[in-house]
Amino acid sequence: MTDQLSALTTIFTEFYYWITVVLMFLIHVGFCMYEVGASRYKHHQHTLMKNTMLIPLVTVTWFLFGWWIYWAFPTGPGLAPSIMNESAALITDESAFSAAWYVPTSDLMGTNLNDHISGVFWAAFLLFSWTAASIVSGAVIERITTFAFGILAIAIGSVFWTIDAAWGWHFDGWMLKILGYHDAYASGVIHAIAGGFALGVLAVLGPRIGKFSSSGEPRNIGPRNPWLVTIGLFLIYTGFWGFYAACNIPIFDLGPEYGMEGVTFWTATNIYVTPTTLGAITMNFLMSLSGGLLAGYIVAKGDPFWTYSSGLAGVICASAGNDLYHPIQSFVIAMVGVYVAYNLHYWVERKFKIDDAVGAVAVHGYAGVAGLIICGFVLNGYPSSGYSVGAMWVGTDYAPINPLGMFIGAIIMFGVLGFLPGWILAKILQGMGKLRIPREVELAGLDYTILEDAKSDERAVASSSR
Amino acid sequence: MATVSNWIDHLSAAEVQGAVYPGVGTEGILVLVLAVIWIGWHVMADMQETRKSKAIAKKRPGSNDWKSNVTDG
Repeated sequence: MTDQLSALTTIFTEFYYWITVVLMFLIHVGFCMYEVGASRYKHHQHTLMKNTMLIPLVTVTWFLFGWWIYWAFPTGPGLAPSIMNESAALITDESAFSAAWYVPTSDLMGTNLNDHISGVFWAAFLLFSWTAASIVSGAVIERITTFAFGILAIAIGSVFWTIDAAWGWHFDGWMLKILGYHDAYASGVIHAIAGGFALGVLAVLGPRIGKFSSSGEPRNIGPRNPWLVTIGLFLIYTGFWGFYAACNIPIFDLGPEYGMEGVTFWTATNIYVTPTTLGAITMNFLMSLSGGLLAGYIVAKGDPFWTYSSGLAGVICASAGNDLYHPIQSFVIAMVGVYVAYNLHYWVERKFKIDDAVGAVAVHGYAGVAGLIICGFVLNGYPSSGYSVGAMWVGTDYAPINPLGMFIGAIIMFGVLGFLPGWILAKILQGMGKLRIPREVELAGLDYTILEDAKSDERAVASSSR
Repeated sequence: MATVSNWIDHLSAAEVQGAVYPGVGTEGILVLVLAVIWIGWHVMADMQETRKSKAIAKKRPGSNDWKSNVTDG
């Protein structure tokens, strides 16, 4: 940085992403509170630890290989050539946005005075990875081993979500080019995949003891601490707002980027480098949150747990197109997503005996899938990328956004990269005898040993008079 | 080990070297250390968890026994 304008742009961008990372940390705080609030007393501490430990596990593996996958896999490989080097192989050459710069031994993966952006960008994506893993965490509480969850968290957080991000959330991703996939704030690339992955794990893991009666009727195991759930979900909303900002590029001149001679157009862009504004996505975030809350209150008949979750489901459903929707479109789409998610949750629970302890599959998975499909219709015909009219990839093109492409995209997110790997990995862990805690432990409570160990001290303190 | 010993010399060079952390060139060893700690953690955590679970399973406490271990006073 040798001139003041490039220094200001660079340092502003660095600081912008840094702020989003701090805000997004609240998502994880929220998930921890929410899960503990939803779990029973005898499982509280284990539930907290399980979700907390995904932070270091996903971070370490994100450093070792997760970040590299994002930059290497946009082409498939083998599905569509890169606009950078026109090859369909893994992007590991010397081009500007190659994975070669993000191997863990690269000198860009450390304090480097010539690169202010890679570190904060790495961190922003890492926070997305924690979220993907944390979504799965809530669904499987009170019966999964910490070992198994650690493996599954790494799989979704540092492997499968980052593959889908390379495919459908990268300006060079093959899903944009072939399917016209558009998912600006991650209805699919984080929420549908994590919901699908959770469902795959749940299908193998089985329900908590007592969840279903002998005749197969589901029983409600409600949140034990509604206040913790409330604060948790408010924090998730707050962090989600930071996530929206993190999905944008804050300042960019699209004129030269698209190869337009003599044109200067400074704007914020979404992750695909197509224009939007921070104002628009803020309006849409709030309107979809409101639509979700209003719909949730009605469909759940005022149940606070589902009403709060519906606020989240509403935002998730509208997120795919919230860079371009009108706020009222966003509002209505959120309401549709909540109706779909709530009803599908109870239908799947009864039909397949799936015990999703916090409704994660519904709120993230079903609402995310609904959001992708709806986006295909509402944004039908919009360009999936600005580069199709530019000079970067002469002679080829990106497909426009369309209903069929978005429907196939939803299947890829929820089914191919979500449900299937979750189910297969859970089967392997089950085969090793490592997936589920012993029945005796589930009945006694995962915290039994902690409580038992502290018993004598606690009693002595309670009966002390001096 | 120090990559920079004088900031004035470093920043006035014709081409500023970007990486300034100690031990530039030893990244391979650092990555190996991280990988060993990562895998080792899984092994140790699994051993601890299995041992704890087996102890509880052997004792077979009832579903409500935990309540007698909670003291709020």
